[in-house]
Amino acid sequence: MRKILRFALREYKAAVKTKGFIIGLLLAPLVMGGGLIAFLLLKDRVDTTDKRVAVVDRSGLVTRALVSAAEFRNANEILDKESGKKIRPAHFFEEVKPSTNDPKGQRLGLSDRVRSGELHGFIEIGPQVVHPGKDPEAFQISYYAKNAAMDDLRGWAAWAINNRLRQVRLADAGVKESDVKDLFFWVSVDGLGLVSLDESTGAIAEGKRASPLEAILIPIVIMMLMLLMIMMSVPGMLHSVMEEKTQRIAEVLLGSIKPFEFMAAKLVGGIAVSLTSSAVYFVGGIIALQVMGYEDYVPLHVLPWFFAYMLLAIIMFGAWSAALGSTCNEAKDAQSLSFPTILPALFPMFIYFPVVKEPLGSFATWMSLVPPFTPLLMVLRLCTPGGVPAWQPFAGLLGVLLFTLFFVWAAGRIFRVAILMQGTPPKLANIVRWAIRG
Amino acid sequence: MPTIELQNVTKTFGKHVAVEGLSLTVPQGSVYGFIGPNGSGKTTTLRMIMNILYPDSGEITIFGEPLRPASCDRIGYMPEERGLYKRMKVREVLEFFGGLKNGDGIGAKVDRWLERLDLADWANKKVETLSKGMSQKVQFIATVVSQPELVLLDEPFTGLDPVNTDVIKDAILELQAQGTTVIFSTHDMSMAEKMCDYIFMIFKGVKVLDGTLAEIQDKYGTDTVRVKTGDGMSALQNLEGIERVNDFGQVQELRLAPEGNSQKILQEILKRTYVRSFEIVKPSLHDIFVRIAGPQAKEVERA
Repeated sequence: MRKILRFALREYKAAVKTKGFIIGLLLAPLVMGGGLIAFLLLKDRVDTTDKRVAVVDRSGLVTRALVSAAEFRNANEILDKESGKKIRPAHFFEEVKPSTNDPKGQRLGLSDRVRSGELHGFIEIGPQVVHPGKDPEAFQISYYAKNAAMDDLRGWAAWAINNRLRQVRLADAGVKESDVKDLFFWVSVDGLGLVSLDESTGAIAEGKRASPLEAILIPIVIMMLMLLMIMMSVPGMLHSVMEEKTQRIAEVLLGSIKPFEFMAAKLVGGIAVSLTSSAVYFVGGIIALQVMGYEDYVPLHVLPWFFAYMLLAIIMFGAWSAALGSTCNEAKDAQSLSFPTILPALFPMFIYFPVVKEPLGSFATWMSLVPPFTPLLMVLRLCTPGGVPAWQPFAGLLGVLLFTLFFVWAAGRIFRVAILMQGTPPKLANIVRWAIRG
Repeated sequence: MPTIELQNVTKTFGKHVAVEGLSLTVPQGSVYGFIGPNGSGKTTTLRMIMNILYPDSGEITIFGEPLRPASCDRIGYMPEERGLYKRMKVREVLEFFGGLKNGDGIGAKVDRWLERLDLADWANKKVETLSKGMSQKVQFIATVVSQPELVLLDEPFTGLDPVNTDVIKDAILELQAQGTTVIFSTHDMSMAEKMCDYIFMIFKGVKVLDGTLAEIQDKYGTDTVRVKTGDGMSALQNLEGIERVNDFGQVQELRLAPEGNSQKILQEILKRTYVRSFEIVKPSLHDIFVRIAGPQAKEVERA
């Protein structure tokens, strides 16, 4: 044990005392959460260039209302009321008389005007848009633009056009809009957690208001954090074992320690590195959430599970990584094995969305009980507001523990043979043979 | 009590027999030289003594006990391929390797050895900044700094200049004087002749020589003539009674045929040129090595 700890301490110092670790500690969350951070930072940034749109109104009932709505918007909504700064683009609508004999040619002409930059886009409104009949083309509203799918103007125009259509339909039905104002009042459905009884006071506690932050964002962030911890130590083990083998340090070490102690020291060092990183992230994250007033969203009850699963995940994937590293004879081998090494750890990322959406569903339950996926998926489910049945984290932990013992046993056998093997390529058949025969 | 005893040890890799039925006894406090061509089984034997490889059959006894992992703490091992953490400082790497075996007072021991091998000024430099010779000396210190009772050195003189060769040689003899048993493998036959109390040769996995230099040479008799002539090699062409001429440029070694007569050969050479020296000697270790492992070698004969 003394040797394992001494070697693990060297591994820990070698990893932590580098600029790469410090930079990685700062950059990794930025890279992994970069998309989210960029979205939050840039979500209010909009292009304020004015937009001109042509309208081909085959119903003859909408264009005037659309122009009026745009004029109202341009006058009241595009400037910041306090600073007077322009915060949204102005919309201008240009009426174009519909062509009856060559509608395709008209569309091409308008498209060319969009391509030249004269127009932002154009809208074509079907003749039966007020009272749709059986022919879908007759009541269709089409928006043509360079990037129509993601264009905010499309959404605004749809709102303005449908307002006008509603007015026309009410008028046609002989109903005054002012008489049925409540008809269009939209009542949303609030999501709440379950009501619970406080056993110490006997008081009934109201259900907590469900929030997307708590239901989706926090579980995903916690899961990503565990993945980050795994990624900060596991792939490194493959490369460091490969280096020790190719630089012939391994044989010097094997003169002092047994192969299993060698691998165990690597794992202990990797765990220590991950615990250091996770401590930094957790303390930093909790302080940041407190400053922002979101401290209630920190799932402190999940932390013991987080660390238990993280520990086993690093041992499980780390042993696998060290074993594969011992089969490599050159950096090229290690590069080609990097992806298979981290694939079992990455797989939950491909299926996390259905799991977080229905954390108590059978798909989520069974996938989170598959040992290589359990650490990430069980923690993801545990962080969701409803939690999981009490037996599941224990069952998952037992499965991971057994699987980890198997991985370490097999990896130890591969490691013992492969670490001194020179010139034998890391083929699957060889790896399986070494694991079986030792 | 011998430091090491190997009894009928065999090791195979697949179908290749690396070591076959090897028995060897290494007395305590001796310097034992392992010689043999590349791939003959020297490193495999050393790795088995270190418990890095396990024999398929046979027994290995170290310090009077069957070999077990704990025995390795009393053995220093320098592999043929040197391996040091390049980004660590010299002192750190020595304290690390020494500490894995026996961490007691390791700092003072490291300082003493750095001073002894003239590396004190490099203690706080990274290993990657050292020359090859210096790295080799650091590797040597890493092997002996924990004061092992047995030291295994796989080709310790390879790549060293004469000055550093002498430094390592003196350090090995100093260890022996302190009671340490030293085994080293080498391709430098003159170094083995001069330094080793016992010499062991392995060829194709089989022990072919084992004993003191005198014992080994006695086995081959005085069938060698070392001669210096005025005309060098050209004066020795087509001499009768000679099995082989080994030309060293300034001096030639003649191996006599079984029916050869040294006096007749001297007379024949004198007819051809003048003789500056003519010496009847036992065969050198180099010559014996070539006789066993050279291209004209006969069947391998177990020692």
